[in-house]
Amino acid sequence: MLNKAMLRGLLIALFFGTVLFALIPVHVPRPSFIPGFAPPPDMWPRTVSILGLALGLLAMAFAALGGGNETSDEPKRGPASAVEWRNRLIRLALALAAFAGFVVLVPLLGFLASSMLLALACFLLAGASGRWVAVLALAVLLPLGLQLFFGNVTHTPFPSGSWGIFPGLN
Amino acid sequence: MWNDLLFAFESVATLANVLAMGAGILAGVVIGAIPGMTGTMAVTLALPFTFYLPPVTSILLLVALYKGSTYGASISAILIKTPGTASAACTVLDGWPLAQKGKAGKALNMALISSCIGDFLSNISLIFLAAPLALLALRVGPPEYFMLMAFALTMVASISGGSLLLGVVSACFGLLLATVGEDMYGSFRFAMTEDMKSGLSVAPVLIGLFALPELLRLIMFRDENHGQAMKLGDNRLTLAEFRGSLKSIIRGSFIGVVLGAIPGIGPSAAAFFSYGEARRSSPNSENFGKGELEGIAASESANNGCCGATMIPLLALGVPGDVITGVMLGAFMIQGLTPGPLLFQNNLNEVYMLFIGMMFSSVLLFGAGKLTVRFFSHISSIPQVLLTPVVLMLCIYGIYSISSSMFDVTVLLVMGVVGFIMLLLNIPPAPFLIAFILGPMFEDNLRRALAISRGDPSVFFQSAISWIFAGLIVFFVGLTIRREWQKFRENRAAKNA
Amino acid sequence: MKSLMKTVLAAAVVALAAGTAHADYPEKAVTIVAPYGAGGASDLAARALAETARDYLGEQPVVVVNKPGNGGMNGARFVSESTPDGYTLLLARVGMALYPAVQESSPVGWDDYTFLGSLEATPMILAVAENSPYKTAEELVEGLKANPGALTYGASGATAIDGFTVQALLADNELDPLTAATLVPYKGGGALATALLGGHVDFLAIAAGSLMPHIESGKMRALMVYAPSRMDALPDVPTAAELGFEKAGQITGWSALYGPKDLPENVVTRWQETLAKVAEDEKWLELAKRRGSISTVGKEDMAAYAKSQYELFNGLAREFGYIK
Repeated sequence: MLNKAMLRGLLIALFFGTVLFALIPVHVPRPSFIPGFAPPPDMWPRTVSILGLALGLLAMAFAALGGGNETSDEPKRGPASAVEWRNRLIRLALALAAFAGFVVLVPLLGFLASSMLLALACFLLAGASGRWVAVLALAVLLPLGLQLFFGNVTHTPFPSGSWGIFPGLN
Repeated sequence: MWNDLLFAFESVATLANVLAMGAGILAGVVIGAIPGMTGTMAVTLALPFTFYLPPVTSILLLVALYKGSTYGASISAILIKTPGTASAACTVLDGWPLAQKGKAGKALNMALISSCIGDFLSNISLIFLAAPLALLALRVGPPEYFMLMAFALTMVASISGGSLLLGVVSACFGLLLATVGEDMYGSFRFAMTEDMKSGLSVAPVLIGLFALPELLRLIMFRDENHGQAMKLGDNRLTLAEFRGSLKSIIRGSFIGVVLGAIPGIGPSAAAFFSYGEARRSSPNSENFGKGELEGIAASESANNGCCGATMIPLLALGVPGDVITGVMLGAFMIQGLTPGPLLFQNNLNEVYMLFIGMMFSSVLLFGAGKLTVRFFSHISSIPQVLLTPVVLMLCIYGIYSISSSMFDVTVLLVMGVVGFIMLLLNIPPAPFLIAFILGPMFEDNLRRALAISRGDPSVFFQSAISWIFAGLIVFFVGLTIRREWQKFRENRAAKNA
Repeated sequence: MKSLMKTVLAAAVVALAAGTAHADYPEKAVTIVAPYGAGGASDLAARALAETARDYLGEQPVVVVNKPGNGGMNGARFVSESTPDGYTLLLARVGMALYPAVQESSPVGWDDYTFLGSLEATPMILAVAENSPYKTAEELVEGLKANPGALTYGASGATAIDGFTVQALLADNELDPLTAATLVPYKGGGALATALLGGHVDFLAIAAGSLMPHIESGKMRALMVYAPSRMDALPDVPTAAELGFEKAGQITGWSALYGPKDLPENVVTRWQETLAKVAEDEKWLELAKRRGSISTVGKEDMAAYAKSQYELFNGLAREFGYIK
């Protein structure tokens, strides 16, 4: 049976297991300049990963035995239809794509234009399309105002983008 | 001493000083309230002005900014679930639920009152206890520090919410992420890209973990949540509510003062300590994390209680305990003053002027807070669908401007997604954060102590301070195990019935 | 609203104009990146330079931006990868030569810059606590020889500049730089000073700025100075070179002004003129004195000095076995 608690335990164990067996051996070297009697750099990450792995397995065991002792503060979600779930996942995927797109676009399009696009995407995905005047005004003016503020007060050098099609204001 | 203080009072009570402090506090509150803009940034921004201001005025300006921003962080913590700086992370736990119940004004007023009291007591301790606290601070070596941090990490049990197991998992995750980057000897861990060599900064991790999941939740589950504004009303703090939290405020201020005086610990650890302690001893402990005013009082009194006390090692020993006092040390040097024992010999008048000025600033903080509470309360009337994307923009710009780093912004967004996954799996974010902040101090002091003792673990039991904390750790772990065991038996009984 | 639009338009015009000719450098604010945290040595030097240089750059402001992380390499990388137009410069520290010399892979080479000129020497001091039995550097070395590994020293890391100060001293005295004294790492000058004050380490050799207040108040004792000449504030404390320590004698802290590679000729000339004036400027000299540093503006051939520093640290790193 693969309920939520089981899946959660599995994810936790998988994460810490990957770190312990795949990442630490490769990405945590032991340089020569650390004296032998002092704990090496991989001591602490190893300890934490082993603890995390054990807790993940324990969580799976609890889930398998049924229940455990968790009390949830979350309000129970109403039942949702398959269509609703499909739309939810599409919206989430779009939001993640907007985040990733922002990171990719900043070096090309510049910080300002990318922020405007991200803001617009978030407003629309969050469901504010009914108030399109407010949405458009905020998505354009807010990044502009912030860019001017930080550019002039803290002298932050914002990337203006290699395409150079949108002025970076600094 | 009293004559000196009186003389200092007369010299410090000038319009220029009061204006500098007033402006500093107000600017600090606003900067602290904006997610991504931190107190360090506020103080750094003001550093160029100190080239042109008299010594006492410039230091007072920096102190005012520090205090203002430490309080200001609670505003965004309560209203938009985004701690302006790490020290307000515990304020989120109860502040945000209160705001959702339409009690934002009440929460803000509680935060303000506790901040001001913590601040005031901290200033008093700075004036009268600087010497003994500075001595205590020097006694805290790597082994004692390690014990203190181990004790602080047991607080994870207090902020885990429903499940201790998931709380500890969350803490492990935080401990692991904190190891990314350069370790104390200068060797790299998990440095898969050039940017990861400098590790993950606290600000993007903190804000990503708390603020962004709200946006993703709104986007994904918008068919359930209709994007309504929070309820309004109930803004006044009653005398009874204040009295109920007074014990936690005093205790929080005390914790803030002691931890603030020890270099390197800082207001976040103090706030976590105070919150955990308040939750453990309060009669309302079941309500903590669901909107308990006492939780806000504990967290906010402790982080502002640190502000004055962090000046103790700076002024009395000449060593900065954190980044902000590091900037202040720079400001002292620009002015040709060297903090430390000599300052009290050569510039006693300036020191007293500073003390008196800081007392003023507690009052100014209350005024600035009252002024801004009114204004900021209106934020809760903005509909969520408009507010959360605006918060995202503020975070992105704020985080980018800290060190002009696109990597930090990427960390912010990735941590937002991680935080959302944790939200879906009911893994609480607060233990992650306390572990992320305290983990490096715990590990570094463990390794430091063992380097000094050449691998001999008995180094951890050589001083009274270590023994006291060892005793406290055993006590708390025992208490937690008992509580968990009882809960387990109750659950079993409920199931069998 | 109208004024906002004006600002926006003006800013847009400036942004477009910046891409074209730069006959009259500087036309807008110059940014100096300080690659370490605010309030530290690089930050204070950058701010002092900013305050002084603006008077000689046609009243164009010079702004300081902190970009810390990865031993100063974050800021260095940012500047070396920025457009070479003279509007983004680097307040370089000894770390810009040290890091590429001691790390197997460095994001920026020691010579990936245009060297505009040296700024200051920041001495480093070998110090012990006031109750330490060691009164001179020689006594400390004897103590180290008598009890290999028993004494502890504080530093920011094995391959940091304040670790090399001690390791070079050990190597000069035929002691193993890695084991003759035990390294206890701390982050930053403040934490290191606290560790020595609290008696948690036995000695250290770090930047003078973090130690001077404690030496002046008598809580610490200076044994030796890592600088080309004795410090004005400590006339009785010998330099490492005076004591005949060959490797330690070449180590000192310094600041310089770098730009990205291939800066235009007019920018380089403008800064050379500016630095020549800064060298004589009262404000600059006064601020340098308050920081406890010695102005070296215009005194070093920066490219040659950076090269010699790189070679020094590279040689030491090979000798100590940090790189192959």
